[in-house]
Amino acid sequence: MAENNNNGNSNGLAVHVREVSKTFGAGETRIQALKGVDFDARKGEMLMVVGPSGCGKTTLLSVIAGTLQFDGGEIDVFGTPLHGLKQREITEFRKRTVGFIFQQFNLIPTISLLENVSVPLLINGVRRSVAEKKSRDLLEQLGLGGRENDLPLLLSGGQQQRVAIARALVHDPKLVICDEPTSALDKDTGAKIMESLRAVARHPERCVIVVTHDNRVFKYADRMTEMEDGRVHKVHETYGHYQQNEGT
Amino acid sequence: MYRLALKMLLGDRAKYIMLVGGLTFASLLMTQQCAVFFGLLSWTTSHMRNMRASIWVVDPKVEQINEIKPMRDTDVNRVRSVTGVEFAVPLYTGVIQARIADGSFKPVEMIGLDATTLVGRPPRILSGRLEDLRRPNTVMIDELAVQRLSLSKDHPLRIGDTFEINDREARVIGICRTDRHFFGYPYVYTSYDQALQFAPRTRKMLSIVLAEPAPGWTATQTARQIEKETQLKAYTEDEFEKSTIRWFFLNTGIPASFGTTILLGFIVGMAVSGQTFYSFVLENLKHLGALKAMGASNGLLARMLLLQAFTVGMIGYGLGVGLTVLFGLAVLKKGQPPFLMPYQLPLFTLVVILIICAFAALLGIRKIYKLEPAVVFRG
Repeated sequence: MAENNNNGNSNGLAVHVREVSKTFGAGETRIQALKGVDFDARKGEMLMVVGPSGCGKTTLLSVIAGTLQFDGGEIDVFGTPLHGLKQREITEFRKRTVGFIFQQFNLIPTISLLENVSVPLLINGVRRSVAEKKSRDLLEQLGLGGRENDLPLLLSGGQQQRVAIARALVHDPKLVICDEPTSALDKDTGAKIMESLRAVARHPERCVIVVTHDNRVFKYADRMTEMEDGRVHKVHETYGHYQQNEGT
Repeated sequence: MYRLALKMLLGDRAKYIMLVGGLTFASLLMTQQCAVFFGLLSWTTSHMRNMRASIWVVDPKVEQINEIKPMRDTDVNRVRSVTGVEFAVPLYTGVIQARIADGSFKPVEMIGLDATTLVGRPPRILSGRLEDLRRPNTVMIDELAVQRLSLSKDHPLRIGDTFEINDREARVIGICRTDRHFFGYPYVYTSYDQALQFAPRTRKMLSIVLAEPAPGWTATQTARQIEKETQLKAYTEDEFEKSTIRWFFLNTGIPASFGTTILLGFIVGMAVSGQTFYSFVLENLKHLGALKAMGASNGLLARMLLLQAFTVGMIGYGLGVGLTVLFGLAVLKKGQPPFLMPYQLPLFTLVVILIICAFAALLGIRKIYKLEPAVVFRG
């Protein structure tokens, strides 16, 4: 896999997206979800991607994470150019570089919290005993010590999302991708989760990208990218800037 | 990851039980029905095992042991005169009515042995001396005949007791053990000359000539020589067995009916396990998609699915074959239905179950290979 020696762009960029396009379907059902998107995310920041439904937020997240192939343009993630990578190399990239937090948590219900958190390490070939020790420590840090052997369904939504955060971080990924992480949670729990994610982002070699509709959590963003109709519409350097522009 | 794959499988109790149940049923149906079929096939040649000889000379039109066309008495001497024949003896076999003390009639399979050599003797003598058959009006009967020809269970037929065959007294001089006759008749052994007295008189009475090859000759060489010189049909033991089984395959519905049941077991196993496993994969698609997004390769996920499929397959196979063995142990004591389980049969079922599991896993693997990891972002 091609990777720059400086482990990212010299200007501190974690993700660099240029002229990326993505189309679904063909003929009359053809939908262009991304129309030449330009987008940057910096190291050590939590960037939120916001916009109305169908504007291409999730598609953008998917192509940055390497879970969806794009049609044209260039994407560079921590020095790895995704354009031109083979499928096997993209899988390898996801395995080592990306941590995922999903809207519905996606924890496997029939295995324990400890085993759920260990999954990314096991996929990376780490020995089970080592993986479980690291997972146990992380669950402890997130306030779930002593519940390692519980099944996910015994936990509240907020606790499950904390397990999902532990799973996303256990293999020390540089890029953490969050898809609507608070939409299934109440206000207070959502706020706690966002605090945790912001703490995660405070790492010089990490970037957290959050796609969300939930305007209750916009204030936690370091920067905000607003999308509309498959394009980046505006980039707000602060939440205040976003508020001014939105007139709220 | 393989350990987690097994926990995912075992965690879904309903699907797990249904998968194991379906495969157990398929394995049981295929193994048990095959064993009964093989048992039935072995019954078709049991008549041969109850007489035993290297070469069987019969009328040219005879294709199987249970259907004998009588020959002339002089055919024995014609066979004896063939080069390569060490010795040849006459044998009578036919179904005759026996009358027991209460006046009821029971059909028996009578075997008339050459009195000098007693070739064609029963496989195992339990009591009495076979040589006593040389005395007049004597018979040796098998255990089934003891049951059938006795007046009651409290008074089983013993050595020295008598019954009637064709209005002639038959005195029991021994009890033997035989393989069960295909049509369920008990065996009554006597001497060839005595059998001709017991049996209703017909123009031809010789059923079979039993022969042995001379030193330096194989049974096959001698059989071909007999055919060449006498124009009779001569089978080696192996040839007669195969011809008998072939006859049953071509002239009866037994293979078709058992084949249908065995095929049904295969189809039910394939359908139930394939459908259940596929629905298990569909229900876990969200989680498998998440694993794929996290960097699990298609190969790793395929191996996990194969492990899950083969695990339920091996458990179902073990239970199915185990139940078949229990069935076999139960029926072998009673003697019916027929049951024969050669070691190749469980191996055959194992291969079929593995094919079913591979098919079930492939359905899931196909789905996994087509699955885009981005599906996990679609809620």
